[in-house]
Amino acid sequence: MPNLKELKNRISSVKSTRKITSAMKMVAASKLRRAQDLAESSRVYADSLSFILSSLAGNTKNSSDLPEILTGRENSKISLLIINSSDRGLCGGFNSNLFRNAKNWISEQQEKGKSVKIITVGKKASSFYRKTDLDVIANFDDLNSNDKQLQVSEEIKNKIMELFENNEIDEVSILFNKFVSVIAQEPTYQSLIPLSNDEADEEMTDTSNAVFEFEPDKNELLEYLVPRNFLTQIYRSVLESSASEHAARMTSMDNATRNAGDMIDGLTLTYNRTRQAFITKELIEIISGAEAV
Amino acid sequence: MINLKVVSPQKVIFEKEVEMAVLPGAEGDFAAMPNHSPFISSLRPGQMVIMSANKVDESFFVSGGLVMLKEKVCEVLVDQIESLSDVNSSNYQQSKTFQELEGNETALGTFEQVVNNPPYK
Repeated sequence: MPNLKELKNRISSVKSTRKITSAMKMVAASKLRRAQDLAESSRVYADSLSFILSSLAGNTKNSSDLPEILTGRENSKISLLIINSSDRGLCGGFNSNLFRNAKNWISEQQEKGKSVKIITVGKKASSFYRKTDLDVIANFDDLNSNDKQLQVSEEIKNKIMELFENNEIDEVSILFNKFVSVIAQEPTYQSLIPLSNDEADEEMTDTSNAVFEFEPDKNELLEYLVPRNFLTQIYRSVLESSASEHAARMTSMDNATRNAGDMIDGLTLTYNRTRQAFITKELIEIISGAEAV
Repeated sequence: MINLKVVSPQKVIFEKEVEMAVLPGAEGDFAAMPNHSPFISSLRPGQMVIMSANKVDESFFVSGGLVMLKEKVCEVLVDQIESLSDVNSSNYQQSKTFQELEGNETALGTFEQVVNNPPYK
């Protein structure tokens, strides 16, 4: 028969766990709202920028006129993957999904004969990839404020520009958890070098009726635009990832709170039953003692 | 009237109908008015002015960026922007833009110059 004291202790410990998880859920919910607003309001800039870039690149008929950094190098050998994880845990499958996905992607690239280098964002990714034998170039973490997110995006941008110019990398992709809804986040790849065309193609139909004049000329404009575009794309992925993180944490903490509630119900039932059994046993002892006299 | 939309990487700063906006293009200032030919330009650090009836309504300092001009729409993608009605020659050193651009020689010079000596009055 379970010990009453033990049961009582377990109930109170599960209760305090429930308090913690429900508080974390509420914190995540309020942070999620802010992160979602940020992600949405930054979309306007990113959309306009990619529109300008695609009309600029689309206007240049001969793709060999475009700089390498836009079209990518032929026979690319080294790909760089930027992995956006979270700084903290307790957010369900958020990070493990991402790492599983990255693993598949990396082995795919290696089958194609490319070597893979990695930049990690967030403490979880840096501690995960430290244990592997992959080539991690840089870590960025502590992305807890918006200013910091922008600053880190800027640093990553400078890093990849520098690496590309030194021929240390030929391709760049970003991996992040795309925010689909509060209950669904989807690991997503986005190619930075070469520039991914899927968005550009849709927009091109729009541009066909408006032919833009450019000032200064296209190449100078591209020189300004390409790094700016990297920055916005990276920044956007960081924001999406942070919105996803809070959403993932909110759902997993919600589940944890519910599980704790179920557990408390079960334990309370056992506690009451045991207590009742003790009382009955004592009564039987008293009655049978009285009868014996 | 032309729809002027000013956007920074973080958010839409404002969006409104204006008669004319003068922007510091990379190769010289230009005015955005309705039915301008489609035009994309980068911006140098300088002053952006919104005008109506030949008078300055509002003026801003922009630290650089891009502008996309279509028939009825003028989209300005700025890096940083500061309303010059909030900033004048006595307090510009306290402004956020000034502090962020400090050490950036070209922009610092221009910001100071623009505040102390605006080209449009």
